[in-house]
Amino acid sequence: MAALPFALSFVPAALVLGDEAARKGFSPVEVPLLTGLNFAGGSEFAAIGLWTSPPHILLIVAVTFLVNSRHILMGATFARYLGRLPRRAVPLVLFLMCDEAWALGLTDAERRAEAGRGPLLSLPYYLGGALFLYVSWVVSTTAGALVGPVLGDVRAVGLDMAFPALFIVLLRGLWRGPRAAAPWVASLIAAGTTYLLVPGGWYVPVGAACGLLAAGVTAERA
Amino acid sequence: MLHAQTLLTIVLMLAATYSTRGLGYVALRNRRLSPRARALLHAAPGCVLISVIAPFFVTSSPAGLLALGATVAASIRLPMLPTVLIGVAAAAVLRAVLP
Repeated sequence: MAALPFALSFVPAALVLGDEAARKGFSPVEVPLLTGLNFAGGSEFAAIGLWTSPPHILLIVAVTFLVNSRHILMGATFARYLGRLPRRAVPLVLFLMCDEAWALGLTDAERRAEAGRGPLLSLPYYLGGALFLYVSWVVSTTAGALVGPVLGDVRAVGLDMAFPALFIVLLRGLWRGPRAAAPWVASLIAAGTTYLLVPGGWYVPVGAACGLLAAGVTAERA
Repeated sequence: MLHAQTLLTIVLMLAATYSTRGLGYVALRNRRLSPRARALLHAAPGCVLISVIAPFFVTSSPAGLLALGATVAASIRLPMLPTVLIGVAAAAVLRAVLP
């Protein structure tokens, strides 16, 4: 039940996401399809933010990949704990690897390794927590799509601020000092400028590319 | 209830997301990354996240900017739920008070 605070913390976000998706024309069937098949909140918020009718599919898929590129590193750090699991369990473990499930599984596996039980992910512990997170996410985003219209104007009650607030919390979790965050400043300036000058969702790839460029330059000097 | 374009986008998003989840495990499991590649992988998530919310920072509404400032300040010490609540409350109050 270590997953409970995580699940509680993302219920408001899930409601907002479901509501915003419904406003962009998602039906109560399409919302659980999106959040249940993709199951990566940051990219779902980004996709809904960029959603137009008809959707700019290539842009949305590219942004999805970029937002979730952190999973590549997470999967790499997870790999050594998955080595002794049954092979057929690995695809499911990876499918459910959201930020929260990864953090839970990793800390538990490291605890087990320290206790001398070898580097191994506990399958019941991980799947229990991850499936709980999964169900909470899909159910509450769907609930958001259904009750959203009842909530009224999201902007007037400030609920739209939940979106940047969640991202700010995620960034806070990634904070490794001002030096490591220098690329973020480059991204923010580039994305903000692009947003003001270029219509559409191009500010995300432009901002990310400028940040990575800055990261490449700083890494070279280091 | 189901639109072909929406469904196609969702399925492609599934493919994109699942590939990021599998890639690290499959490709990087027995390999050492160059320091530069590591630095880029470390920086990528933050750069993408901040780019997505950049429009909120270039608003001309003082209430929006102040609410963002309050959210950033709250995030330094508080966990996710209180931070989000403070951000939402600050936006609601400031928009009601400021023009």
